[in-house]
Amino acid sequence: MAGLELKQLHKSYGGVEVIKGVDISIDHGEFVVFVGPSGCGKSTLLRMIAGLEEISGGELSIGSRVVNAVEPRDRGIAMVFQSYALYPHMTVYENMGFSLKLAKTPKDVRDAKVREAARILQMEHLLERKPAQLSGGQRQRVAIGRAIVRQPEVFLFDEPLSNLDAALRVDMRMELSKLHQDLGATMIYVTHDQVEAMTLADKIVVLDAGKVQQIGAPIELYQRPANLFVAGFIGSPKMNLLSATVDAIGPNTVAVSGKGVERVEVPADTTGLQPGDQITLGIRPQALVLRDQGSLVGQVVLVERLGSETNVSVNLSSGVNFLAVLDGDKTLQPGQQVSFGFEPQDAIAFDPSGRARHL
Amino acid sequence: MKSRPSILISSAAIAATAVVFLIPFAFIVLMAFKDRQQSSLRDFSWPAGFHLWDNVVQVIATRNWMLVTAFVNSAILTVASVTLLVIFAAMVGFVLARRKTRFNGLIEFLILAGLMIPPAVVPTIWLLQGLGLFGKLHGLVLIEVAYGLSFSVLLYRAFISTIPRELDEAAIIDGARPLDVFFRVILPLLWPVTVTNIVVQSVAIFNDFTNPLYYLPGNGNATVQLTLYNFQSQFNTSYNLLFTNILLITIPPLLVFLFFNRQIVAGVTAGAVKG
Repeated sequence: MAGLELKQLHKSYGGVEVIKGVDISIDHGEFVVFVGPSGCGKSTLLRMIAGLEEISGGELSIGSRVVNAVEPRDRGIAMVFQSYALYPHMTVYENMGFSLKLAKTPKDVRDAKVREAARILQMEHLLERKPAQLSGGQRQRVAIGRAIVRQPEVFLFDEPLSNLDAALRVDMRMELSKLHQDLGATMIYVTHDQVEAMTLADKIVVLDAGKVQQIGAPIELYQRPANLFVAGFIGSPKMNLLSATVDAIGPNTVAVSGKGVERVEVPADTTGLQPGDQITLGIRPQALVLRDQGSLVGQVVLVERLGSETNVSVNLSSGVNFLAVLDGDKTLQPGQQVSFGFEPQDAIAFDPSGRARHL
Repeated sequence: MKSRPSILISSAAIAATAVVFLIPFAFIVLMAFKDRQQSSLRDFSWPAGFHLWDNVVQVIATRNWMLVTAFVNSAILTVASVTLLVIFAAMVGFVLARRKTRFNGLIEFLILAGLMIPPAVVPTIWLLQGLGLFGKLHGLVLIEVAYGLSFSVLLYRAFISTIPRELDEAAIIDGARPLDVFFRVILPLLWPVTVTNIVVQSVAIFNDFTNPLYYLPGNGNATVQLTLYNFQSQFNTSYNLLFTNILLITIPPLLVFLFFNRQIVAGVTAGAVKG
């Protein structure tokens, strides 16, 4: 039984700080996904948990044990790499049994464990092959099998699906999800693909510039992003962010307007807000509907008709672009004047510091 | 389909190579068949009689079976030196490619210096005497390792930097200690370079004449190349025996090469890191 506790973790290379005090608490059996843009430190954080990077500051516990100075092999972890990192000169069987061989496990125990892992992943017929004779998906399976054989408390995945083609990625994603249910182990998964994050995770950690931006369940991050970064990062297409000015403050609502944005009352935590403040209004493209006398008026720039939905790119009179995703097929022409409306509770107000003002 | 001119050029190249490599070898073989009188003419003539067996017996038995001793010495020297070279050079290459420190530049300079600066014989002898290694076979093994190390390290280092680091890391997570990472994961992947190293260095060390001459004096210490001087002197040279000797000591490197030739091709086409 092993949860993880990351307390004020820091990492710096020379004078450059890449992880700036990360606190995360992970329960046993949770599937946690680290997401963030390239260079946000998510892989570094994973490697620190694995023990491949030294921890410059803070405390890392796996189970109830502080493991800052513990060797990777004694941390009770197993890792799956993006490039799979299979040993090219060994067969699949030897690849999977390598850790047990190093641990001097008796041969019959080793054999049983390798065959059990191969059975779970349905690749018993591949055991005698070399990695070069396998397809991408099969290699991925072997890499996961190598991790399973170690029977770790914590599985670490470093973008394991990004080298696979789209169809295979969907299959492997479902298999990973199933594997997590079957094994019941704690899994930490790094990705930049938010579909993977949303579908796999019990809990998502959004990282940017070495700092945790938000931790929460996938749907919570989508519906209640904590700040502008998370709002822009989670959800596809991106949330529209429009700047507006506070006109009036009501009980738990703010009335805002801006260039190309008609006055609208949005539910928000109004503490500390004053009329005249510059705020940002976040509206998901899916929340917009065509409506006469809507609060957003602009000119159609581009229309993408996908059949089930229509993506419309619109230029507001203020020069700002925004995107609407409309249900069904809509025949709009570029250049046409349109007006969009939205339900006030679908809009999120972000204060000048970028923090979301959820009620 | 290849074009006609390219076939012509290839044929010409093969013919030229044959002339350069096979004709001298044919000359050695012909000389080894001749008797002393005919061989002293040193011409490209057909042997007048079959004297190969007599020559071989005489060459091997000369100076109290010196050639046999020499073969044993050379074999020990070559095997020991090449083994140490492969292990040490691969280790140095591994550390240089994997661990970046501020001394790397200096170390690389020293390795290049090892290639460029000619060995100083007298101080080396003085040093060997001080260490009690002068005139000892293991002393010469160390000399050969020292002289060959730079070249081998360069070969290994370039290759190791193409092996992804994640492979080391995967092994570390699997529980490998540094020596396990090296011997069980990295060294097996270096096979193509190791073969190159074995071929190049064993031919060089087996054929080395000057270093055994300087550092390994004494009849009991002779290596194969030194036995050639048994049949040459200022006033009297037995060319038939000299060439028989050359023929005998050319065979082992030739076999090494023929055997490993297949391995080189296999090693290169298999690809070390693919997959």
